[in-house]
Amino acid sequence: MRIPRRTARRTVATAAALAVVLPLSACGGASGGGGGADASGKVEGSITFQTWNLRANFKPYFTGLIAEFEKKHPGTEVKWVDQPAEGYADKLSADAAGGTLPDVVNVSPDLLAPLAKAGLALDLDQAAAKYEKEYLPGAWAGHRIPGLEGTYAFPWYLNTGPLFYNKRLFEEAGLDAEKPPTTYDELFEQSLRIAGKSKGRIATLASIPTIEDFGRYGVPLMNEEGTAFTFNDAKGVELLTRYKELYDAKALDPQALTATPESSGKKFLTQAVAMNPGSALDLEKFRKQAPALYENIGITEQISNTGKDNMYVMGVMVNARTEHTPAAVAFAHFVTDAPRQMEFAKQVAIFPSTAGSLDDPYFTKEDGTDATRVRIAAAESLKTAVNYTPVLMSEQMKTELRNAVARALQGKESPKEALDNAVKACNRLLKQS
Amino acid sequence: MTTPTTSPAAASGKAPKGRAPSSPLPTGRPRGGRSRIRRQLPVSPWLFAAPGLLVAGAFSLYPFLSTVANSFTDRRTLLPGRFVGLDNYREMLGDEMFWIGLRNSTLYVLGVVPALVVLPLLLALLVEKQIPGITFFRSAFYTPVVASIVVVGLIWVWLLDERGLVNSVLEVVGAGPVGFLSDQWLLLLSAMTVTVWKGLGYYMIIYLAALGNVPRELHEAASVDGAGPVRRFLTVTLPAVRSTMVLVAALSSVAAFKVFSEVYLMAGPGGGPAGEDTTLVMLVQRTGTGLSGRVGYSAAISVVVFAVTVALMLLVLRADRKEDA
Repeated sequence: MRIPRRTARRTVATAAALAVVLPLSACGGASGGGGGADASGKVEGSITFQTWNLRANFKPYFTGLIAEFEKKHPGTEVKWVDQPAEGYADKLSADAAGGTLPDVVNVSPDLLAPLAKAGLALDLDQAAAKYEKEYLPGAWAGHRIPGLEGTYAFPWYLNTGPLFYNKRLFEEAGLDAEKPPTTYDELFEQSLRIAGKSKGRIATLASIPTIEDFGRYGVPLMNEEGTAFTFNDAKGVELLTRYKELYDAKALDPQALTATPESSGKKFLTQAVAMNPGSALDLEKFRKQAPALYENIGITEQISNTGKDNMYVMGVMVNARTEHTPAAVAFAHFVTDAPRQMEFAKQVAIFPSTAGSLDDPYFTKEDGTDATRVRIAAAESLKTAVNYTPVLMSEQMKTELRNAVARALQGKESPKEALDNAVKACNRLLKQS
Repeated sequence: MTTPTTSPAAASGKAPKGRAPSSPLPTGRPRGGRSRIRRQLPVSPWLFAAPGLLVAGAFSLYPFLSTVANSFTDRRTLLPGRFVGLDNYREMLGDEMFWIGLRNSTLYVLGVVPALVVLPLLLALLVEKQIPGITFFRSAFYTPVVASIVVVGLIWVWLLDERGLVNSVLEVVGAGPVGFLSDQWLLLLSAMTVTVWKGLGYYMIIYLAALGNVPRELHEAASVDGAGPVRRFLTVTLPAVRSTMVLVAALSSVAAFKVFSEVYLMAGPGGGPAGEDTTLVMLVQRTGTGLSGRVGYSAAISVVVFAVTVALMLLVLRADRKEDA
């Protein structure tokens, strides 16, 4: 058998054209708003549940929870998959783009926003409004996306963290180790003192200000409509100007410009910096890995000018394209209901987002241990805490802010110029999203 | 050296016009002769090549063409894209981060390639000798090649940290601390050092193979003529491994222009202070991934990376041909 050369040429040309055209044809997905599928049918079918780096430590909890759900709803089957923390957003985007997004997915609000915009997250105001009253109003509202109607995930656990500080380093600088800073003014003043006393060898902070810092400083981050960023206002410029003073005095670690949360944590562990944010889980780490630090560890509230701590919110969304909407909604609610959240909170230092749960004695009664003290303080602060990270702020926008802050700290741009440029870049990205 | 030819036509590379000479061997061609063969392609070779072509098509050609196509759209990870012509390329020209990436990737080539052409050759000359225990040294120099780049990156970050081993030594002699990981240029230089350190063993092996092919008689003849080791290296070894040096230059320049891991690990995901150490491939990753990734724009940068790497290859090979001429 022989193929005429002309035919062969045509075949190759067609294949090449298809290769070019096919990707373009793939650019035709859904857009805007989530699905409005009915969740009132019979709870049955096989669904997939994806968590975010929880299998290693909480396997028994989740297998028990799934078994309980399957027993309660005969005819259902839940397949549990867990993804590592690293690259979670990339994994979600690959699944979402490839049409293999699990039926029930653990998300944070900033990951939820693009999924909801692409029509992949189920609108719970339509499909499961009856559950709204079970959750803290702020937590439920935390899964609304500016520019879209609806709520796109069940609130799951909340987290906040204290600020750890090294009492020895504070004392060596002649500061009262029992009175750590609580406002940014106090923080700046004491940081400069520590740097001065140690001749620049001891920095107080290891990372540059993030969007949460701007929020806690009292800077308005976005306009009310969620259509433009506003963190370049006078207060934002003031915060950055103060941070530059810290950087110049080496009160901010010189490697802060390239720091990650992990590297900052390591600096604190090695007692190279005096303060670092963390969670109750860190105490055990300090005890095991840095006993000398553990002996001098101080625990205080987050630095805040607004009186409101930063809160991290986790949610559980339902894939709008699931074939088993009733089962997926029922399971997402089951995972996040008050008894299950309370049970989970007792296994790990997280806090339930269900109404009334934070009044449980577990979050209010002292038992004399540091872990309990941290937990009670955090639970108390959560009652007024705010998720300062705007849900529409993508990783690229965070990078724009980080770069702008670094340029200002290095003196390449004034704080005002740097923030104006960052806001301009973020607004451009916001319009393109 | 040219191959002796039997006719002026063959030497000029042109076939004589007119009727083709008949072959003295039986060919078994179908009736219709040579013109028919020109029009038709035999199927059997294609069938043999089909599995390879399918794999290459699916995993190389299709993604490549797809990337080129995407570069003309405003496609995002989850949102539909539409044809925007050259908008992405126009935006790229005005994007400061693109120029930073292009500058850093180019500097990487300029900094790394000469070192990777010369140093592994010197290393190969050292370990070429057949002496007891030399295998240990060869293996030792090759170890960084097989080590995970993540592990290598972390080790170097620990070494070059403000309170790392290198700075501790420098402080003892009153020269530290040096901001290897906080200064824009030192950070890039540190990443280049890691690339060179990790690549030495790989290219050393290539050079070892080339050195093994250098005729011993030439060395002996040069020795008899009174040439010392340096003279022998310059007049015998270097010309003999010149084509290998070109190969190393081509391979290392393409790899250097596409650098990602070393800079990512040492400068952080943000690409160093204010992103000043971002390379082009880091920019591709940063802009094109995640749920809000700008796939179209990222694809356009990828196309530029492809074009530059092809140009680099051609440049190196052209320089080699000029040397041959």
